[in-house]
Amino acid sequence: MTVTLVKTPAETAYTDAFDPQGALANVRKSAFAQFVETGLPHRRMEDWKWTDLRQLMSSPLPPVSGTIASADTIDALITASPFGEVARARLVFVDGAYDADRSSLPATGDVEFASLGSDDLPEWVSDKLVAGSTDPIAALNLAYMSDGAGLRVKAGSSMDAPIELLFVTTAEQAATYTTRNVIVLEEGASATLIETHIGGTGEYVHNSVTQLHIADNARLDRVKVQEEGLEAIHLSNTDVHLAASVHLKDFTLTIGGRATRQQGFITFAGEHSESHVSGAFLLTGKQHNDTRLVIDHAVPNCLSRELFKCVMDQAARGVFQGKAIVRRDAQKTDGNQSSHALLLSDDAEFDAKPELEIYADDVVCGHGATSGDLDENQMFYLRARGISETEAKSMLIGAFAAEAFDDVESDAIRDVLGGLAEGWLARRKAG
Amino acid sequence: MPDIETIERVKEIDVDKYKYGFETIIESDTAPKGLSEEVIRFISAKKEEPEWMLEQRLDAYARWQKMDEPDWAKVSYPKIDFQDIYFYSAPKGQTGPKSLDEVDPELLRTYEKLGIPLKEQELLAGVRKHDEPSTLDEDAGPSYASGKVAVDAVFDSVSVVTTFKKELAKSGVIFCSISEAIREHPDLVKKYLFSVVPQGDNYYAALNSAVFTDGSFVFIPEGVRCPMELSTYFRINAENTGQFERTLIIAEKGSYVSYLEGCTAPMRDDNQLHAAVVELVAMEDAEIKYSTVQNWYPGDKDGKGGIYNFVTKRADCRGDNSKVSWTQVETGSAVTWKYPSCILRGDNSVGEFYSIAISNGYQQVDSGTKMIHLGKNTSSRIISKGIAAGNSDNTYRGLVTTHKKAKGARNFTQCDSLLIGDQCGAHTVPYIESKTRTATFEHEATTSKISDDMMFYCQSRGLDEEEAVALVVNGFVRDVLQQLPMEFMAETQKLIGISLEGSVG
Repeated sequence: MTVTLVKTPAETAYTDAFDPQGALANVRKSAFAQFVETGLPHRRMEDWKWTDLRQLMSSPLPPVSGTIASADTIDALITASPFGEVARARLVFVDGAYDADRSSLPATGDVEFASLGSDDLPEWVSDKLVAGSTDPIAALNLAYMSDGAGLRVKAGSSMDAPIELLFVTTAEQAATYTTRNVIVLEEGASATLIETHIGGTGEYVHNSVTQLHIADNARLDRVKVQEEGLEAIHLSNTDVHLAASVHLKDFTLTIGGRATRQQGFITFAGEHSESHVSGAFLLTGKQHNDTRLVIDHAVPNCLSRELFKCVMDQAARGVFQGKAIVRRDAQKTDGNQSSHALLLSDDAEFDAKPELEIYADDVVCGHGATSGDLDENQMFYLRARGISETEAKSMLIGAFAAEAFDDVESDAIRDVLGGLAEGWLARRKAG
Repeated sequence: MPDIETIERVKEIDVDKYKYGFETIIESDTAPKGLSEEVIRFISAKKEEPEWMLEQRLDAYARWQKMDEPDWAKVSYPKIDFQDIYFYSAPKGQTGPKSLDEVDPELLRTYEKLGIPLKEQELLAGVRKHDEPSTLDEDAGPSYASGKVAVDAVFDSVSVVTTFKKELAKSGVIFCSISEAIREHPDLVKKYLFSVVPQGDNYYAALNSAVFTDGSFVFIPEGVRCPMELSTYFRINAENTGQFERTLIIAEKGSYVSYLEGCTAPMRDDNQLHAAVVELVAMEDAEIKYSTVQNWYPGDKDGKGGIYNFVTKRADCRGDNSKVSWTQVETGSAVTWKYPSCILRGDNSVGEFYSIAISNGYQQVDSGTKMIHLGKNTSSRIISKGIAAGNSDNTYRGLVTTHKKAKGARNFTQCDSLLIGDQCGAHTVPYIESKTRTATFEHEATTSKISDDMMFYCQSRGLDEEEAVALVVNGFVRDVLQQLPMEFMAETQKLIGISLEGSVG
């Protein structure tokens, strides 16, 4: 194939390594061609105006899969997952490859698992792997995807014991690791899913895609925790397809990563569905997190809620871009979105672009965005009761962030998230 | 079936019955079609401009040629052929009349048809009673000084008549056409023109800088509270004439001025281009209030024709404690691309933006504001009310940003959209950039329709459907209406009713 757009060393590295084999070769080729059209996204592209990947990925980070790290390194990272006690089943991926020995499959026959790295993919996975996403990073993911979890929760079954997908990146190589998950909930199924990303201290890119296909009357609770290494670039895309009468709850906690770009594309394809998407950022140093959500109300009578709580300390920068589209026929849509930012330092920055694009008239849609420092009155109230300044600040920050995961169903998971926030605050206090 | 009635009414949508659609036939003294250095030289010579002005124009033209037409706004229209436009057209024999008597009676009749004759304007403003002599006479006594409106009427590209000039001069206020200012007050113009919107600011501003033909110039000296509201009525008349207005308002330390701008245009089929630039400079403790009612021809019921309105409006709050307030009512034009902005440079400076944007038929509106906080304790307030009906698209696009040094900056933004009918679109695209801890930003947006409950409530009390809609819409936009000067408020309430006639859904 001819490659016309090669500009940065990182792009060159991707182009040089491209040599698709196996059953997915054609899909990968068309996905790569799509990526080549734009190359790495940069700030002159409207959706990427606050996150310039050409700049952030200044050195070549060639695509790699499989680990060269020692067992001890890997085990140390795995035990770092906060969900060890909570998850009933765990699928572990180390440096972009499935690690069967360290994984424990769900004990029930209601869930079917397939490693996406295998040559012989079941049809329910392979027919979901199609090129066509307009996002260059999602296209790049499909072109290089090395492994990931295919999960099918069978019709009518209930998998309330949480399943954890744990992605460990050892950072032994300055490389790009590419994983993709295909999650299918059949009619009336319900499941709780945890996605954890943990990484070592070196430079690497983790390009992760999760596809959620949720059939009629199904219910999914999903929690994602991103604790990549502090030199890492975390790129993620979540593609959600909701049929009728579906109930989705999705929460993302972002603590790690030097630069993070998380995108969520949620499409309502059936009526009377609900999606509640929320997130919290706890950022410090020079961390950068750009979250972009596109909620597409293509059918009538659906409800969407988004709530993002963003805490930025030191020179960190948070970005929230949320777009709600209500198509011509999507009457009776109820959409509401809010993002709130807490800036703890004079060098911190928060950028927001909450967008509405509405073509139906009988709808109730709105968004709110605020940004500012801690409330002086609240501080005064706490200080007047003898609480030290540092302690008072911690309490207020903790409470601010916790609102985003208040309605996570599982008590155990909520406790873990609370613990992670507390840990972040403790590190902040320790300075 | 009420639904069928509604459909019938929508079919009869009012854009086809544009109240102000007519043409005045006056011979034009026109530059050759198209845009070139020669045309710019022709304009400059016509205006008897000094050499430096011509140089600025040519510089802008050179920049414009290297620029691309912006495509980020949510509007679509056929590509404009700049070589098919007349860039200069002056009503013949209208170079500087001294009084209304010297004005072509045809022009005066035009204003009368618009419902805004100058003499009527005096009455509206309470300047004189029916039995009193007109204050338009140059010897108007000071006893009539309060509540006056000074009008700088622009007919096509040339300022036709400037009233009250003498009286304004008594307080040291300069209010004249920009061409006159270039000739009479070159130092002021040199100092401030292009200082807020530079020649190469954007595609349309560059075009305007190269070919602007007229507009208003206002200078309020230190400590002066302008004794009357200043007002301009813009008209586009000659066929295929682009209208390139340039307005410059300077408010010196501690001064105050309120400026009104209103426009209507005659009906025609060819699309017309309007690319105006407005620059406001507010020095220490000064305040400028700029109000616009824009009601240009929106095109017919099939979306044919109508004005393209690409406007750059920007205020520079240069001094501490200065304040600029933009108020706009946008009901006309086929395509609107307009973002009145404030650069809040002085400490404690205040920027405000109040907007009502109504679109019907096939109109496309992409409008909003930019509030750029640079000084300490600067604050801004944005209230935007968008109403979309028919097949129109109505977008709010705005930016609120703080510099790191803008400690204690505050912003409050509220953009509400109302949809009437299921073939229109309402969009909100705000950008919020907060770069310091002490800045507090609040942004809120809602989109809804007029609820059945509200309609039922009003109708059960004997209002018909259209009255009920007008009542609800007027309530919806009340926050902005209240910001308009008295002279515009009554006119605007009527305009809202007219714009939405037949759109009940």
